[in-house]
Amino acid sequence: MRRPRQSLQMLGSLLVALAIAAIAIAVVTAHFGPTSSAKLEAREDIVKERVEAREERAEEREEAREERLESRDGSGGSGPG
Amino acid sequence: MEDLIEQLTRGNVTEVKVVLATVVLALAVYQLLLAAVAYGWLRLPFLEAGTASWTHRASGDAIVVLTILVATACLSYYGFEEGGAHAVFGTVLLGVLALKVLVVRVGGRLSRLLPLLGVSVLALFGLTWLTSAGDFLGVG
Repeated sequence: MRRPRQSLQMLGSLLVALAIAAIAIAVVTAHFGPTSSAKLEAREDIVKERVEAREERAEEREEAREERLESRDGSGGSGPG
Repeated sequence: MEDLIEQLTRGNVTEVKVVLATVVLALAVYQLLLAAVAYGWLRLPFLEAGTASWTHRASGDAIVVLTILVATACLSYYGFEEGGAHAVFGTVLLGVLALKVLVVRVGGRLSRLLPLLGVSVLALFGLTWLTSAGDFLGVG
């Protein structure tokens, strides 16, 4: 069998890569299936809760850090000097 | 960063990550085939070694970009601490992938390591996928 021209080989091998990517996307998307609006809303709620919890944790960390700094400043003032 | 990722994926961060990771894994398997042709271990009547090598590079570049996107989404949205085995495999994968790219650029004697590094990268892609996207899709 005679080999096709090099440019054709390149094009063909790239098209195979694109086809593989397209098939992977199609298979995984089909696996997820159609999503109802109720499910989407529930998912959005979960995401919102997650973001809020993260913000709360960040605030708590910030407050704890400030408290540590304040207590350090307080104890630093009572030392010898 | 989290908000940007959420906006880009319209709140479907996990789903988008699973799709992209699956595309990467599928292309990584194709990479193995192309490398086998490029090294002459597999002879195909319609594909020359040089062309296979060129496509391997082009497809590899796309894989690197997609992997960085998935890793960025993963780390900035889910963080590292809760990742477990997935986080470990992902970190090792990024290291080996970076090493492989470096060896490709440097060339010389180190090029002999490329088949080993390539197989390692594929195995790590598989393990990283199995411990995240595979779990999500009910595989493994």
